[in-house]
Order: sequence, then structure tokens, then C-alpha cells
Amino acid sequence: MKIEILELSDNHVRFILKGSNPAFANALRRIMISEVPTVAIDEIVFLDNTSILYDEILAHRLALVPLKMDPSLLELVRGESDLSKFQIRLILDVEATDGPMIVCSGHLKSEDPKIRPVSDNIPLVKLIKGQKVTLEAFARLGRGKEHAKWSPVSACSYKYLPIIDIDADLCDLCGRCAEYCPHNVLKLEGDKLTIVDPLSCTLCRYCEKVCEREAIHVKGDDTAFIFYVESTGALSPIDIVSEAANILKLKAEDFLSKLKSHLSAPEGEVDEEDRPD
Amino acid sequence: MIIPIRCFTCGRLIADKWEEFVRRVKEGEAPGKVLDDMGITRYCCRRMFLSHVELIDEMLKYEEARRREGERH
Repeated sequence: MKIEILELSDNHVRFILKGSNPAFANALRRIMISEVPTVAIDEIVFLDNTSILYDEILAHRLALVPLKMDPSLLELVRGESDLSKFQIRLILDVEATDGPMIVCSGHLKSEDPKIRPVSDNIPLVKLIKGQKVTLEAFARLGRGKEHAKWSPVSACSYKYLPIIDIDADLCDLCGRCAEYCPHNVLKLEGDKLTIVDPLSCTLCRYCEKVCEREAIHVKGDDTAFIFYVESTGALSPIDIVSEAANILKLKAEDFLSKLKSHLSAPEGEVDEEDRPD
Repeated sequence: MIIPIRCFTCGRLIADKWEEFVRRVKEGEAPGKVLDDMGITRYCCRRMFLSHVELIDEMLKYEEARRREGERH
């Protein structure tokens, strides 16, 4: 198994995973979406809300605000099904004293400076003079499978590495494939058809369709995957991928130990442990 | 009513980019160009901006009228 990083920024990573199989790639993707824990607001005590948004609407908006978290928290809860031991409080206390104002995520005051909204400019509600919002919000650790607000990723996908095969004997260099390709993967330069950008190919196979001589063939390599992971900002994209791998490893180890205990214990004497998630 | 915090489909944070989007479109830039510029590439996120109507500003006008009414009495 080999990894080649194509792009890396603060909120996304694109990499090729080579020498693997679809089952592994998909397990990794699904764990990133639904099992890597993050922090999100989960309970709110409203002390005052005279804004025009109802309490529940405002609560829903607050819950969706992504909170930047300390990656060391991941180690604290790794392998545990109960995440309730961690909780922090955020306070929002605003009043429009002179004229209209926009209440932003920057107005939220966190108890812990390490856990705060990823952006200070997320509008929560708009107030006119005299309106007031006072609330206490409790942020907890959770997983995407319980509610999407806890998912650390927005877009998280993979595709097979494209293999584009051009049969030089059959190709008459008509250039239709290059002309019709929606992602400009192919280019006709003089008397040569070249693959300029194979990674952008979406395997749509439109080039195959327009080729009258069946000289071009596109297929996906099911041992190599181009991953695209986009973080909501809660964790760095690399932390998300590595934590997903850790979770997958723990699941495999748990499975192995259960299997071993079943094989070594005489029949009917195996303790029924709690099912893992 | 007010710009949703995240894209309905993919969950990307969009609300913090709304003010900039509105300002730049008002200044005469093409909406598509502004979105490209801000890195909103997927069509699910783009429709959030293009189809949104910020009704909360209209609602606040009624609140404002009610407040003035209250002051008069």
C-alpha cells in the first residue's frame, strides 16, 4: 500500500491510495464521515431570546457551527463508545443597544480557548435595537452517525484511478474524443493524441462513445483510489484520515480478539460482551 | 429567512461567506465569478448562494415598526 499526496491545504487533502482494494477504501471513507469524533453544541439553555428567530431555530443554527478542536482530544476517547466525559460551555450574551446588529459566531465566548468556532463571521441572527439573546450552550463530543453536525468532513469521496487506453493502430486522429471530453483530459497535438490530465478523468466514457473506431478505452483501476477529503475546519484533513485509520485498526483488533476467545473457550462458555459499534 | 449555516447537501460551511458575496454582487461583479473566487466550486453549495433570499431583513422592518409603536404609547 502506498500513499501519494496530490494537494494539501488547511481544509482539504487529495491523495492517491495505491495497492489497496475497494473494501478498504470504502471503510476508510465511511469511518471519516461517521465515526471520527468532533465537538459540537448539543444542549442550550436559553435565558433570554427576544430575537425574531425561535429558540429551536437558533439552537439548530448554533449546533451546525463547526468548532475547531484540539486533536489531542481524539486520543482521550479513542476506542470508547461513551463520549460523554467531555463537555465545555460557551456563552452568548448580546443586546442590540444602539441600532440593528448581526450576532456572529465571534460573539460566542468559549470556556476553553482551544475550542472555538472555525470562523468568527458566521451570522447567527439579526437583531434590531432593544432585542436581546442570552444563552448558555454546552458542546460535546459526538460522531457523525448520530448527527451530521459531528461529522468532521463536508465532502469526502474517492474514485478509481482512471486507466485510459488508446489503440494507436485503430486511432485515425479524428480528435473527437479530445473535443468531447468534458474535463479536457485528452489533447490532439499535431499527429499525436496525448493524455494531458489523467487524474481529472471522471470515467464518464464519453470519449469511448464518440469514437467511431473503438480505439479508446477507459476503465478504473480498482487497486488505486483518488481520495478527496474536505474538512469542516474542526480538525486538519490529515488528522481526520489518520484518526479514521486508527479507528479501523481498533475495529480489526477487537474482531481478532473476539475470534480468538471464541476459538480458545469451550463451546457455550464465551462471555457475551457488549456489541462494539 | 437567514442564510443557512451549512450547505444542505454536502455540509460545507457557507454562512460566513454570505456578506462578502452580497457585497461583491451589489458592486457589479458576476455572481458566478464571485463564487469561483471564494472557492465555492460544487453546485450544491453554489445554489445555496444563488437561490437564497435574505427575508430576515424584511421581517425586521415589522419588528422595527412595532417597537416605534410601543415607544409612542
